[in-house]
Amino acid sequence: MTKPRVGLFVTCLVDAMRPQIGWATLRLLERAGCNVEVPRAQTCCGQPAGNSGDKRGAEKLARQVIEAFEGYDYLVGPSGSCVGQIRSYPTLFSDQGWRSRAEGLSRKSFEILGFLNDVMGWKPEGVRLDATATYHDSCSGLRELGVQEQPRALLEGVEGLQMRPLDGANVCCGFGGTFCVKYPEISTAIVSEKAANIVDTGADLLLAGDLGCLMNMAGRLHREGAATRCFHTAEVLAGMADGPAIGEEG
Amino acid sequence: MSARDDILAAVQKGLTQGQGGAVQRRNPDAIRAEAAQLLANLDEIRPDLAAGDPVDAFVAKCANPALGVTLDRVANWQALPRAVIAYLDQHDLPHRLSVSGDPRLDALTGIEAHQPCAPDEAAAISVADWGVAETGSVVIHSAPDQPILNAMLPRHWLVVVEEKKILPFLDDYATYAASRPRNAVLITGSSGTTDIEGFFVRGAHGPGFVHVLLVAG
Amino acid sequence: MGASAFTQRAHDALADPNLKTAIDRTTGTAETKRAAAVGAFPEFQAARARGAAIKDHVIANLDHYLVEFERNAQAAGAHVHWARDKAEAAEIVTRICKDADAKLVTRAKSMLGEEIGLPHALDDAGIERVETDLAEHIIQLAHERPSHIIWPAMHRTREDVATLFFKDHHPPPDADDPASMVASARRILREKFMSADVGISGANFLIADTGATCTVTNEGNAELSTTPPRVHIVTAGIEKLVPSTDHAMALLRLLVRSATGGEVTQYTTFHSGPKRPGDADGPEEMHIVLVDNGRSRMVGDEFRQMLRCIRCGACMNHCVVYRQIGGHAYGGTYPGPMGAVLTPVLDGLAQSRDLPHACTMNGRCEEVCPVQIPLKTLLKAWRVRSWDSQQEVGPLRMGLGLWGFAARRPRLYHFGTRLALPVMRLFGKGGWIRRMPFAGGWTDTRDLPKPAARSFMSQHANHGNEGPK
Repeated sequence: MTKPRVGLFVTCLVDAMRPQIGWATLRLLERAGCNVEVPRAQTCCGQPAGNSGDKRGAEKLARQVIEAFEGYDYLVGPSGSCVGQIRSYPTLFSDQGWRSRAEGLSRKSFEILGFLNDVMGWKPEGVRLDATATYHDSCSGLRELGVQEQPRALLEGVEGLQMRPLDGANVCCGFGGTFCVKYPEISTAIVSEKAANIVDTGADLLLAGDLGCLMNMAGRLHREGAATRCFHTAEVLAGMADGPAIGEEG
Repeated sequence: MSARDDILAAVQKGLTQGQGGAVQRRNPDAIRAEAAQLLANLDEIRPDLAAGDPVDAFVAKCANPALGVTLDRVANWQALPRAVIAYLDQHDLPHRLSVSGDPRLDALTGIEAHQPCAPDEAAAISVADWGVAETGSVVIHSAPDQPILNAMLPRHWLVVVEEKKILPFLDDYATYAASRPRNAVLITGSSGTTDIEGFFVRGAHGPGFVHVLLVAG
Repeated sequence: MGASAFTQRAHDALADPNLKTAIDRTTGTAETKRAAAVGAFPEFQAARARGAAIKDHVIANLDHYLVEFERNAQAAGAHVHWARDKAEAAEIVTRICKDADAKLVTRAKSMLGEEIGLPHALDDAGIERVETDLAEHIIQLAHERPSHIIWPAMHRTREDVATLFFKDHHPPPDADDPASMVASARRILREKFMSADVGISGANFLIADTGATCTVTNEGNAELSTTPPRVHIVTAGIEKLVPSTDHAMALLRLLVRSATGGEVTQYTTFHSGPKRPGDADGPEEMHIVLVDNGRSRMVGDEFRQMLRCIRCGACMNHCVVYRQIGGHAYGGTYPGPMGAVLTPVLDGLAQSRDLPHACTMNGRCEEVCPVQIPLKTLLKAWRVRSWDSQQEVGPLRMGLGLWGFAARRPRLYHFGTRLALPVMRLFGKGGWIRRMPFAGGWTDTRDLPKPAARSFMSQHANHGNEGPK
């Protein structure tokens, strides 16, 4: 069987804020048996524009992503939220030609954890991390892409890792993209409750599948003086959680 | 144009020239057919009964503490007065009831009966027109011998239901709504409210106690 | 840029610890009970899809059903009135009250009544108005508006209620526990029920093939408001139609489980015309006021699916924003996600542009919606309208414009990232940024992780898939 050709969609946040998540995703895809390429013509999925009501701005970025990725067997990215946006591209176009190209890309776009588990049937082998961890379900991955059991199943394969349930794991952390800076008071109230629930688990690590949510929760936890360390789930699965966590000096 | 004409015209315009494109306009028969189709395979969209037999299911539902009802199975109409007095005694109530006027209650021997129900009535008795097994509801239709207030005003409401009047599902009752009484009320348990911090409190405006007398014969 | 009225209201709400306690107590219970009710109803997902289909069918044939309902309601002896907007609706109701020479009116909770400003209109007309739903009674004593569509007094703790009742109830309650306070309200309101001239209710459903209106309550106040008075008035939105009682039953199963976690409310009442000859009780006249107030416009625009709404309140009980700020902060009749879609329809987008934006788009509302309303999509549609009509102004529009310009030029973008990251890192201390210009929205309450020295794309350009050592 020939290896699937995967275009890695890095996401703008991972690109700038935590490249290690991009490398973890790339490694995992390779280990799962994919040929991975990183198209240079990628920047942002257009979500900030789309969520702000700038439909034309979102449409222009959608064209760019479609052109850069439609030649691959799959588009895979480390974010349910960005992939959710890409899956929704067909709704942006009234032009039939673009709409069907958008539909084509939408069908083969996946968030990394769902992709590893559901498409590649991959399981971690020989990955070890002696720690306790809890998991937050990022909303877009959970509700737009149905990513819920997959990360938990994958994490079960990490030796030494003990998972602890998080009260309200499926409740939004208050990030919401531009929401968190447009309505900072409301966002802070939401993430403070989330942080309290995380601390209550007593876990060493907080894991999630979206860097935006992770930065929000990590930023609040750190401001409150909590010791919880935050990683993207892909980093743990790729055996890259032995280094600095989000916000720790490298 | 009248408000009626304006509203209907606006609705029609929205349906024929709306953003989503024109909705196909159909004749009344086609509309009725589609409406009926939406009720196909009801078992796919309603819960199972609590028991196979509707009467057993009704009894099981009434046993659910959330409903706040008590139920007594009565062998036949002749045994009713004794069952009523037993309830009144159990609650230290005088042998005095507001009675709906249903002729089947004329034979309540040993009870001082009167009409109509007073605003501060301690106890009243009515005969339900139906029971619904799905939910443990009883149904009353307003009528000359079925005052609605008799079911609403008392602190204790006793309601007689005949086993043969237990219908399986809410949908089975819906057929009878076609008789269009002024008021048809499905009553499921005692009156209650959760308006103060979500606490459930019985007897908000209607009866705080509902006692079902399920008559077999 | 000054704080908007919404932001100010949200700020005040967040500063009130009492409010948060009150909201948590009720929404917490509601969420748990709903989950149990849905868990015990394996057919729920199929029933939701059918519920949505029933409502869509009604809206697609709304003119047909309105006319059918009117014909059957008139045949049962009811008077049917039509109102284009809220002013017209309130005017019709007050006129009926005046024609009946009404001194005292009892009202059973109806959000439509709130929408058309009925409490205010009756007060202005000098008619004594008594709210009979316990929560509405609390609201009336506090001179407030509802903060939730199922629990209008959700924002009030039991301690608040005790204060109100001890002040206004004569005689006062025996004690300040919920049961004693409910008993006191029962005592006070009982006299009002029996002496009212007119009773006003809303409708959860309008049954086209019988001409009946259907109301669901747990307290029994609808029956007590509508049976003793001489005149019964129903106000209802035109989207409340269903083809038949059977269809109402299918929706009722969804409504009650989603609202309170019960299977069915304690009282499900069908009203059809006035007292029949010989009837033991009931009003002499029945009036039904069919209210449009923006609904016919929704039939034709991108908000049509919102007309499916059966007003269960599940979306707000599961909304992270509602649970922080409560209902009053929304500033309209309807709060929470459904309110954020409806309020711009009713009050205009200029008045309420914050509402569709003050949402994290987490989608939990549409996940629990019993009639599958795509609330996220509808909220986004308002954002598009807001953007297109230039209501999104200032730094955000500029920032997004700049961002978009760069993002559509990948070489420029990657070059810019390379330059920007080291600058951002200057604000960092350890791995974190505690304060940075233009980032106060984040850094006032959260630390920001310091970005990488080099972006992923830059690292990959140098090292390929091998990556940096």
